[in-house]
Amino acid sequence: MGMLLCMLQLGYAQQRTVMGRVTDATDGAVLPGVTVKVKGTTAGAFTNADGAFVVSVPSSAQTLVFTFLGYTDQEVDIAGRQEINVRLSAGNKILSEVMVVGYGTQAKRDLTGAIAKVSSGEIENFPAPSFESAIQGKAAGVVIESGSGKVGQGLKVRIRGTSSISASSQPLYVIDGLPVQTASVSDVNNEITNPVADINPNDIASIEVLKDAAAAAIYGARAANGVVLITTRKGKAGQKTVISLDLNSSWGKPTKKRGFLNAKQYVDLVEEAAVNDGRIDFANGYNGFGTEQEAIDVYKAYYESAILDRYAIGTDWRNQEVNTNWEDAIYRSVARGNQLNLSASDGNEKTRFFASGFYNAQDAIVINNKFTRYGGRLNLEHSATDKLSIGLNLSIARSQLDRVTQDNNYSTPGQLVAQLPISPVIDPATGKLNKRTLYANSLLDAALNSDKQTTFRSLGNAYANYNFLPWLSFRTEFGADVLSFYQERFIGKDATDGGGVGFGESASAQNVSFNTNNYFTVSPLLGAQHKLSAVIGMSYLQNDAKEVIAQGREYPSDAIKNLTGATSITFAGSVNNRYDFISYFLRANYSFNDRYLAGLSVRTDGSSRFGPDKRYGTFPAASLGWILSEEGFLKGSSVLNFLKLRASYGLTGNAEIGEYEYLSLYGISNYPSLPGFVPTQLGNPDLHWEKTAQADVGIEFGILANRLSGEVDYYNKRTTDLLLNVNIPSSTGFDVITRNLGKLRNQGLELTLNSVNIDGAFRWTTSFNIAFNKNRITDLRGQIIESGQQRAVEGEAIGVFYLPKYLGVDPATGDAQYMDKDGKPTSNYAQAVRTVVGNANPDYTGGFANNFSYKGVDLSAFFTFVQGNEIYNRAGAYQSSGFSGGFDNQTTEVLRRWQKPGDITDVPRISISYPTGQRASSRWIYDGSYIRLKMLTVGYTLPKQVLSVLKINSGRLYLSGYNLWTKTDYISDPEVNTTPLGSSSETDRNVAGGTDFYTIPQARTFVVGLNVKF
Amino acid sequence: MKRNRHIPLRFVISLLLLTAAACNSKLDVKPGQHITPDEIRTAADVKAVLFGAYKSMQDFNAFGERYILIPDLLGSAGQVSFVGTFTEYRDIFNKAQVAQSLIAQGIWQRSYVTINGANVVLSKLDLLDAAEKDAVEGEARFVRALTYYELVNLFGQPYSAGNIGVNEAVPLVLEPTTVYDPEKDNKPRATVDAVYKQIVSDLTAAAATLPASYSDNNGRATKYAAQALLSKVYMAQARYTEAATAATEVISEGGFSLAATFDKAFNNVSGSTEDIFAMLQTDQSNGGSANSGLTTMYAAYNATPMAGRGDVRVDTNLYKIYGEHDDRRAFIYEGTGIAGGIGEYSRKWKDFYRAIPVIRLADIYLIRAEANARAGATIGGKTPLEDVNTVRVRAHAAALATVTAEQVVEERFRELAFEGDWLWTRKRLKMNIGTRSYNDPKMVLPVPQRERDVNELLSQNPGYDN
Repeated sequence: MGMLLCMLQLGYAQQRTVMGRVTDATDGAVLPGVTVKVKGTTAGAFTNADGAFVVSVPSSAQTLVFTFLGYTDQEVDIAGRQEINVRLSAGNKILSEVMVVGYGTQAKRDLTGAIAKVSSGEIENFPAPSFESAIQGKAAGVVIESGSGKVGQGLKVRIRGTSSISASSQPLYVIDGLPVQTASVSDVNNEITNPVADINPNDIASIEVLKDAAAAAIYGARAANGVVLITTRKGKAGQKTVISLDLNSSWGKPTKKRGFLNAKQYVDLVEEAAVNDGRIDFANGYNGFGTEQEAIDVYKAYYESAILDRYAIGTDWRNQEVNTNWEDAIYRSVARGNQLNLSASDGNEKTRFFASGFYNAQDAIVINNKFTRYGGRLNLEHSATDKLSIGLNLSIARSQLDRVTQDNNYSTPGQLVAQLPISPVIDPATGKLNKRTLYANSLLDAALNSDKQTTFRSLGNAYANYNFLPWLSFRTEFGADVLSFYQERFIGKDATDGGGVGFGESASAQNVSFNTNNYFTVSPLLGAQHKLSAVIGMSYLQNDAKEVIAQGREYPSDAIKNLTGATSITFAGSVNNRYDFISYFLRANYSFNDRYLAGLSVRTDGSSRFGPDKRYGTFPAASLGWILSEEGFLKGSSVLNFLKLRASYGLTGNAEIGEYEYLSLYGISNYPSLPGFVPTQLGNPDLHWEKTAQADVGIEFGILANRLSGEVDYYNKRTTDLLLNVNIPSSTGFDVITRNLGKLRNQGLELTLNSVNIDGAFRWTTSFNIAFNKNRITDLRGQIIESGQQRAVEGEAIGVFYLPKYLGVDPATGDAQYMDKDGKPTSNYAQAVRTVVGNANPDYTGGFANNFSYKGVDLSAFFTFVQGNEIYNRAGAYQSSGFSGGFDNQTTEVLRRWQKPGDITDVPRISISYPTGQRASSRWIYDGSYIRLKMLTVGYTLPKQVLSVLKINSGRLYLSGYNLWTKTDYISDPEVNTTPLGSSSETDRNVAGGTDFYTIPQARTFVVGLNVKF
Repeated sequence: MKRNRHIPLRFVISLLLLTAAACNSKLDVKPGQHITPDEIRTAADVKAVLFGAYKSMQDFNAFGERYILIPDLLGSAGQVSFVGTFTEYRDIFNKAQVAQSLIAQGIWQRSYVTINGANVVLSKLDLLDAAEKDAVEGEARFVRALTYYELVNLFGQPYSAGNIGVNEAVPLVLEPTTVYDPEKDNKPRATVDAVYKQIVSDLTAAAATLPASYSDNNGRATKYAAQALLSKVYMAQARYTEAATAATEVISEGGFSLAATFDKAFNNVSGSTEDIFAMLQTDQSNGGSANSGLTTMYAAYNATPMAGRGDVRVDTNLYKIYGEHDDRRAFIYEGTGIAGGIGEYSRKWKDFYRAIPVIRLADIYLIRAEANARAGATIGGKTPLEDVNTVRVRAHAAALATVTAEQVVEERFRELAFEGDWLWTRKRLKMNIGTRSYNDPKMVLPVPQRERDVNELLSQNPGYDN
């Protein structure tokens, strides 16, 4: 290091030094990578990540020229000046954007990796608790799937496909340099929740998604699923204090109701079942009836008394005295939401700050489900000396989620649709909620139960930056993510799951991640042709999860809902888990002549999740870029303004399995008064990282004065040494061991286009992205990995539906038919063979946005689309099987049932006693493709005259609609994912997908909002 | 000046190197709520593994529910019916179970967890003092034998079907698993004969070394539990003299007595005077109270003090097998189910968190009665009639004047209804099960498809190959 230093100093010994900082003229953002040249010479330098530059100039030099792609060149007189601060005006910003890249920033122009950026404007004020919902469809290759229309639920986020089977495939989230906790800490018997919802979306300045190995490998062993870098807002120097107020209010309803039979239709179908069943009985001589009519009469009398009389509870079902629409009872009349954000930011050369306070309350469309969050943030940066700057990013938030039970439970509101339309909501005999319904009436649960989880979340990251030399700085960061969770659940005595005694649970968790990053940034001055910047450092992460949980029963009444009211404690336990990562990393980016780019990164990670001999893994990546538009043959082209080719290859890892999986373990058992040990896990000391090697080639371009710009990427991600829960014979006493076994691949194409169609007073811009991903499991060595109806099958995409194939209805009998092993139809389900009959993975996904503005009025329309995925309606067995799965009320699909010999239809006969067609098969698979108008916004920016009267700096009023229009063939809302997000197993979350089981649809929401800046 | 400037840099670099070295040792993280096998070091640790095997037997996939409920549902020809929405149970009840049955899989998996626990104990006897070594060995052997007895019944053709050297049951695993080695651990199914031989050998050894009782616990296996189970095994093998002899030892030396009234034999906090072996439950340790467990399935949804699901209903025809004043007839009550409707339920499994009798004295009286009747003997000095009437009188049923072996069997059905006995008794006597033959393929559970997928040495039972 010292040698290098000496040589550099010798080279420039006879010159003088000029230094300064380059910022954006409009928003004051620092500009890294700006070329600073001495006019008339080749001497010069580039600005570093903080926009600062130091240039050695001959004593004769008079002028410096600042050039930066997308900005207007600027010449500055330097005679007699040593410090120069320059503000460049933007020409076209698309290519001059600064991207956060992990331990630093880089100009987008110089990137050799694939990174998608979503800026604050696109995520603000979205009517969902967590920002991921807002970026759905906005970044090519980033697929975000909601579980349901409940709020606060976990989301399935996939960057360039699912790359693991038994380890998590969710990306790593890093907020201002601090990797944060994203695993659900909620009750394992309910659907997972999303700790990312503790982050206020309006505090976010930008989100960068690191997609390829070149971009992500700096996060090494944690990067195989991609990395989401979240940067929060910062104060800027040299401006007046900006106080910004955002207010909005929303009104939501379900996007779609499925539609169930009314009382008349229901009764008619029950009568039809009696006729069908009577005929079948007589024809087969089951009960030895003398005539067919006798058989029908007996069945009719039986069904009328056992179903219609029983559940009409004394009301006149023959004349539809009661005609209850139970589906309506699931939803609130309107789901209200309110958001308030107040922020202030300002600063000077010494100190800059951003402070905010936020409040957000969001009802789900489903009753009893609500999310509330409030808190504040302070981001502070102080330049102590010209060498030392220190800062702090601190956010504290409290969020509360009021929950309903998971989709599988009778007690969940979504299952109310199964109740009969002839059953009244209120029992006329008691005047209270009807307890004599077909299934336990979950409106009782809605009235008696409560389930509240409260999270206190503090994210703090303190840092110091010291510039030893103009080209050498050191940054140290100490951060903590403190998640303090408290859940209280109560089930009333008379509720479905209350058992007549009441049930309570209280859980408390304290999960703390401590993280430190320490790194040098080196950007030596190598003359104007060479630009080199490197980062070298280490990081250490320690996560401690501590949890206490207690459950009790037998409450004297429903009045006291906490555990004190439980007179019998049935379970109590505490859990401590820890994991550690220690990492060393290096990244270097080099550019020659502003057109030839090269990047290299290496990270070595050690993790406590693997045995002592297999702990460390090294993850290198290399990349190249070529800015063709800088070449003589293209330079100055009036059509092609920018063209870059880039290619990268590298290795990333995945260790997102539970703790201690390499060890053989015994758990605790509690046989009455005989405490003991039970073998629970068979270890594997050879367990090591799952590895993903990814190749990426990309083109970035800008044409027609950069009016049209875009990016195309092709990638091939090959994951090997899958961390797989391998089934072993249970006769060993164990079901699975975790092994590194198997390979899978994600291959895809991504296209992003941005255009300014019309510029001027009337402005129209369009952005479009589409991503094709093809997932294929290339090697499983015969393992069968199953989750419900889905499987990981070699040679197929992960999560294909593996079921008997439904072949429609036998026109002669009305029986359902399935394909047997000879490929022939059979009505005997036991002879049906299971095969791959569908795929939950889409062929392509994307988004399409148009923005119009004229004077003060703006209009934007944003569509998202998903094509080629399939959805399995697991509830079909009950709700669309023509009573073959029970007396449940039916969807209107059954109206096109088989009725008499010769009928050609896909819905079998109606039957109660001789069921047909209800079983799991491809019958319940539907096309899940959709295109949806995700958002439509009209805004009005107040004109200057009004602003001066109101004494405000700016003001905008807007009206937005979300999910206003959807085109899909699916029978309900197509954004469903019951199984993966209702399971605590990572295998389920990867293998299962697109399953609907009484799932709550998405909300259609209207938002009215106001933004004012003072 | 220039020299000084680099002091902070050197300081920072050395600090980083130090931190890195310190962090490295941080990667050794010990599990918070588990132990590793090397932590089993003392006699107490080995016994804890034994107690873990008891917990495993209390699981809903074992005696906590399925060892008892599944044979009753599978064999049901008008005794019980499944009226809930769980399709897996419905399939068993409809005899429509397939190779993928999660119930068959659950039972198989849990049974081998129990067996592995017992095998671990048997491999670590050296850590025990001579004083208790034999007793612990006996206890582990009893646990293993009992579990194999359930497995051989559920997954193999009965002993009575003959061909015992050919008919396959389940893999016979007698060593603990410490690492997975496909060569060693992928085992074929052993024959019915081999499994029975192992059961008899384990039980004979256990009966010789187990204590007669425990001063502090009535949930553990005793010498008489081993004898009682032996008598049941001998019945299955039609070794009637041996069965009657083993039963006699239990009756005359075990110190058990029939509960004063029939209802006192069930729903007891810690077993009754007639429980020879029972699984204990408490509100903190049980077979389940929401979606699993005998009581969960059997108790009506409107039962008090705590509601079950009311998924398993008793057929009203069952009233007919009892005499008018028989207490066992009054053990049926009316209630509702969570999935709707009203019906009849059994009081045997009505209260939550109560002991589950696995072998009770009434069963052993009836075994001796039947065995004596079939052998034409009066082993134990009692006639079959005396033994049967002992059981009947306790239930306030009219005493019989004469009794045949067939009548003893009918008494079994009355006394042991809903205790998972019906199917096994009919199979051993080659009696039809409804319209099905005793050896109907559907009366045997499938070898779980999952097991066959990972172990190609496993054959499937007839009737399940699709």
